[in-house]
Amino acid sequence: MRSMTSGPDIRALGVALLLALLAGCGPNTVKVEGNFPAPLMEPIPLTLGVWYPEDFANHEFSDEAKTRSEPSWLVSTGDAQVAMWDTLLAGMFTDMVHMRGEPASGQMNQLVNAVLIPHVDELQYAIPQHTNIKVYEIWMRYRFELVTTSGEPIAEWTMAAYGKTPTAFLRSDQAAVNLAAVMALRDAGANFATSFTRVPDVAAWMDGGQQAIDNPPAEVDQALDAPPETEKAEVDS
Amino acid sequence: MKMILALGLVLITTGCVTSTVDEMVFNEPLAGIGDSTVVILGRRHASDYETEPDFIKCVGDHISRRDNSITVINEIDFINSLYPWFEPRTAPLHPEDITRLLEQDPVAQRMLELKTEYMIWVDGVTVQSDSAGSMTCGIGPGGAGCFGFGTWSNDSNYEAVIWDFTDQAEVGRVNTTATGQSYMPAVVVPIPIIAPVQGTACDGIGDQLLEFLSSEY
Repeated sequence: MRSMTSGPDIRALGVALLLALLAGCGPNTVKVEGNFPAPLMEPIPLTLGVWYPEDFANHEFSDEAKTRSEPSWLVSTGDAQVAMWDTLLAGMFTDMVHMRGEPASGQMNQLVNAVLIPHVDELQYAIPQHTNIKVYEIWMRYRFELVTTSGEPIAEWTMAAYGKTPTAFLRSDQAAVNLAAVMALRDAGANFATSFTRVPDVAAWMDGGQQAIDNPPAEVDQALDAPPETEKAEVDS
Repeated sequence: MKMILALGLVLITTGCVTSTVDEMVFNEPLAGIGDSTVVILGRRHASDYETEPDFIKCVGDHISRRDNSITVINEIDFINSLYPWFEPRTAPLHPEDITRLLEQDPVAQRMLELKTEYMIWVDGVTVQSDSAGSMTCGIGPGGAGCFGFGTWSNDSNYEAVIWDFTDQAEVGRVNTTATGQSYMPAVVVPIPIIAPVQGTACDGIGDQLLEFLSSEY
């Protein structure tokens, strides 16, 4: 009798099966993806620079399984973080500029009123297997630094964000964790948008810097287009 | 003939549901809501449950299907178009909070564009309880099969609060509860006899909201 499957086919099938078995041993990986709407609000009359540190832009969270019955988790939120904060800040302020480098004295950068540097200090998650409640949860604690272009601190504060989603028929753990993370990011945006001007140090700076706000830096575009020597001169002056 | 058989099978394999609806209406529109729109939103403040988005969609679809002159804005579209003012953290909890919200020009402008006259907040959840029984399934060279019996109860409890956006006041409140027992006997093949508890709650709350919103009911 002639076999319907040739030798190489069987080997390929074996490799595929082995890979599938090995994949079953790996952690549950979630790359958070979602759509984030622009905020509906009067823009704050500031040109805000934003600098995403590398550990923020590539933020991921991993959790090793404590028992054999529990899966390990690897949740990457970096791309979604950047997408959400870009959309939020662009709608919240008159202008939003991505800085070329981390604000510091001597660092050539665009001219802005202040630079926001976000950090994710902590992320925790809970799935129904942990809590016996049919809800997936993500909790994050952000730390924000508001600094001048030369890196001098204006304000520093922390902010919590929380997202949850219920279990649903035919929804995988990964999809539910993704949805909970998207909800947490939306909550972070909502919290930031409604509390930014009420942070005491930020409010004091905005009151004191009203003159700067009334005269926003018109040189931003020129500084971006100018040759490096000119920029260096501007920064040094 | 096949249709009758299929219908009979569906009726046989559907469990029984007991449902109660309570209604309190303070200020009913006599001629329906006209050209205005209505939005149905789920409350998501509680830490241990969330009002299911599927339930909110079901109520909205029920209203639109029964009276197609009523425009029900999709919940997600509404929340996204007014981000960040209807997130769990920021959503208005009382009708008076609408005043604070409308103080912001972009929000007032968007609400005007959406022509939202009524905002209906639905709070509640369907939970499964009292599950009992056991079932064993096996697979062998001769085939596969299950044997056993399972039963569980589902309980729905939802409350809809109707806000009049123009008057910035609560104008009605509808509460619905539904309970049903589902069964799953298995002799080789499991036969689920599911009680449509959430669907019954959806129809109950939808019918009461139609009486409020529609001039035809």
